[in-house]
Amino acid sequence: MKLKVNGVEYEIDPDWHDENLLDVLRDYLGLTGTRFSCGIGNCGACMVQIDGLSINSCLASLSMAAGKEILTIEGMAADDGTLHPLQQAWIDEAVPQCGYCQSGQLMRALSLLKENADPDDADIDQAMNGNLCRCGSYPRIRRSIKKAAIVLREAR
Amino acid sequence: MVQLTRRNFLIATGWIAGGVTVLYKLGSRAKAVAPTIIFPDKEMASTWIQIRPDGGCLMYCPRMDMGQNANTGLAQIVAEELNISTNDIEAVQPSTSDVPPLAVTAGSMSLTAFSRPMAIAAASLRENMRERAASRLKLSIREVLDDQAGFRATDGRLVRYADLVNEAPVFVEIDEHSSLPDLYAFDTQRQKKQVGQPVKPLGTRDIVTGAPLYAADVPMEGVLFGRAVRPPVRNAEIAAVDTRGVTDVPGFLKLVQEDNFVGVVCKTPGSVNAAMSKIKVSWHLKQTINQDEIDRLVNVDDELERGDLEHTLHDEAHRPNADWAVDLRFDVQVQSHAAQEPRAAIARFNEEGNEEGTKHLLEIWTGTQDPWAMKRFAALHTGLDEEDIVIYPQRMGGGFGGREHYEVEQDAVRLTSAIGRPVKVQWTRKDEFMAARNRPASAHRLRLAADETGRLTDWWHAYVTGHVVLARERLPRWLLPVARLREDMGVVRGTNPAYETTHLRVEYKDVDLPVDLGVWRSLNAAPSLFAIESAMDELALQLGEDPVEYKISQMRGELTRLKVCLERVRDMAKRYPVPEGEGYGRGFACGIYEGRCFVAVSADVYVDRDKERITVKHMCCAQDVGMAVNPDQLSAQMESNMAWSVGMALLERLEVGDDDIQSSNFDNYPIVRMADMPSVETEVIDQPAVPPAGAGEVALIAGPAAIANAIRNATGYRPLSLPISFADIAYGQD
Ligand code: FES
Ligand code: FES
Repeated sequence: MKLKVNGVEYEIDPDWHDENLLDVLRDYLGLTGTRFSCGIGNCGACMVQIDGLSINSCLASLSMAAGKEILTIEGMAADDGTLHPLQQAWIDEAVPQCGYCQSGQLMRALSLLKENADPDDADIDQAMNGNLCRCGSYPRIRRSIKKAAIVLREAR
Repeated sequence: MVQLTRRNFLIATGWIAGGVTVLYKLGSRAKAVAPTIIFPDKEMASTWIQIRPDGGCLMYCPRMDMGQNANTGLAQIVAEELNISTNDIEAVQPSTSDVPPLAVTAGSMSLTAFSRPMAIAAASLRENMRERAASRLKLSIREVLDDQAGFRATDGRLVRYADLVNEAPVFVEIDEHSSLPDLYAFDTQRQKKQVGQPVKPLGTRDIVTGAPLYAADVPMEGVLFGRAVRPPVRNAEIAAVDTRGVTDVPGFLKLVQEDNFVGVVCKTPGSVNAAMSKIKVSWHLKQTINQDEIDRLVNVDDELERGDLEHTLHDEAHRPNADWAVDLRFDVQVQSHAAQEPRAAIARFNEEGNEEGTKHLLEIWTGTQDPWAMKRFAALHTGLDEEDIVIYPQRMGGGFGGREHYEVEQDAVRLTSAIGRPVKVQWTRKDEFMAARNRPASAHRLRLAADETGRLTDWWHAYVTGHVVLARERLPRWLLPVARLREDMGVVRGTNPAYETTHLRVEYKDVDLPVDLGVWRSLNAAPSLFAIESAMDELALQLGEDPVEYKISQMRGELTRLKVCLERVRDMAKRYPVPEGEGYGRGFACGIYEGRCFVAVSADVYVDRDKERITVKHMCCAQDVGMAVNPDQLSAQMESNMAWSVGMALLERLEVGDDDIQSSNFDNYPIVRMADMPSVETEVIDQPAVPPAGAGEVALIAGPAAIANAIRNATGYRPLSLPISFADIAYGQD
């Protein structure tokens, strides 16, 4: 079985075929930026994008992910290291506290901005409600998404 | 491998292998300026800072990072002293073999205890560099002036630190003859470049790019995966184990069954889950676990009737039969830390020593507030010498007081020693709930009386709570009875009234509860202040006074810093009028944390009778924790505490079932989500002349009471029990 993550194709050892996507990413491929927190699809810490849709990878089987384009936090910046405007806004607004939830937050925010180039607070609250942050960085996430949205709109 | 690279890196820079120019020993003078009894190894502050041959600065982070970003504040102070930019400091988290023991990262102590020794160390290093510059330029020291990352001579010549360092990095030497250098960070007259600036926290870029940071991220050759069965409470003993079918699970490697422990090692994380689902354990419990039992144990009214509150904190001209204007009972339920990261650890035995030829027989990678305690525990557990064990502390995905103990680490050590390969143990979310050392439930009886002019005259606060710092799970059994003769500093926190009163009694009893207890963000201060600030609000309303003005008028005269916070928040809130109409309300609360942090909070709520929902719309928070080293990070902590305030006021309650902990995940222990989160406005009150105090848990003491008071304002109903649900609200008129 093959898995394509951040543009790179990986052959997955048969011992790992029954694992969920999260564990394969983290413990087989060493892409540990995607994190485990609840394991039941309730918190968004494990969020990645599969063919452009944000998915909780703790609930995704390997077979459903195989053959699709998977994007993880490690693939969010440009190849030359230039950060995505969302990542940059996250730094500028000093969003992370412990940081544990933030890969998932960024993945969800990325798909939100694909769906909606100019989200208001209500749009953000709705889209981001599945991504828990125990540290309570929510006000800064709201600000950063709006900031990045402006940057992305202007770049168009 | 992350850790090994880091060690190689340290060796390469000469940090841990010889080549050190000056070996450092701190003299008595520096000791005298940092009188912190719980930090016995403060001497070492200077070894944490070095100037590298390339002129850069490397700093060991003396605090364990879990989101409070204390190391960033310390780096700002170091940068201020060295005339460099904070972001040019390379910060490294030391292992237990890199530096002598450091105090546990807890209780918002980080900045208070560490800022001054580190400032002295960095300033001494700067002066050492100045001497080098003077001798190179053949000038007197007075002719060598500060400049960015170096010096400027009065004749205009520039030298940088890089010009002044040879092959080996430079540490500083201070002894009892050293004079105390000028401390820029603490100079109130000085225009500062780093301190007081909203510097971005260390490591933020790593977080947003998904770099490996937490224990479970550490890459490890040949690692296997394991887990053990967690007991519902720590003093439970295994009664029976059924492991049928475990060995048939694909990927299964080993079942480990020894004194009160059942665990497995498997090839993959998924096979661990499958194997663990086959294991059935029943437990011998020493105490019945259920909610009724908890309610019974903290029933303050029963205890008052029996005269059974054993500790008295204040007893001044107490009048038990005063004419009580307010006589209310407040309850707070058990709460769990629910940090976003479920704990994980990797352990590995090394018969030969590790790749660098050092001799550690046991290596543990984990996120912990107290790596050195971890090392001692591991030594006791394995019988190894402490020198043979090394703990590599990793960033924590939230701590909040819950990560001081040798637990997930112990599981990893047992399993790795059974299988002879490195083992990673990743707790599930349910394990994390089962293992939490929760905030105890508590019950408070608050009685207040005032004279005919409205002046507060009598104060009687009686409460019962579970143990906190002296919880059964935190101390060896033999020590408990002795330790408990003294006050539990977690249980008494926050109970000293901020208001002037003639007749005063504060008494409490602390008890063992049938769930595991420990230190939870702000300890007893938030529950106590919920009761106190609600009762004061009620007293003001009964007297027909505005609660904020009434509190200000009754506040102890010396508490001007608290008064300023409350006035500030009152004025901030004024800018947003409370909407007209049913269900809108505003409440205020304030409090003092650890005697040196002051905070006030306002909350605006909307209680929607149709949707049967309470929403916190907006909160304002003004806080004074002394010198504001990083105002933006102080704001971040205030925002975080507002999130926890909403959770504590409206959502969080550990569900306890019959002989079991039922909260097992975020679906049955809800925490604040984006849609629950109010907008938050913060104001940092800077006190440049007051040493900085940590702000990680301060604002939580006032938030829940502000929300409760807002609900009272919106509905006329006085919330008496946390968490408050819509169903509790008794609408008076109908
Ligand atoms: S870990 Fe997948 S949603 Fe929480
Ligand atoms: S930053 Fe800690 S959980 Fe979000």
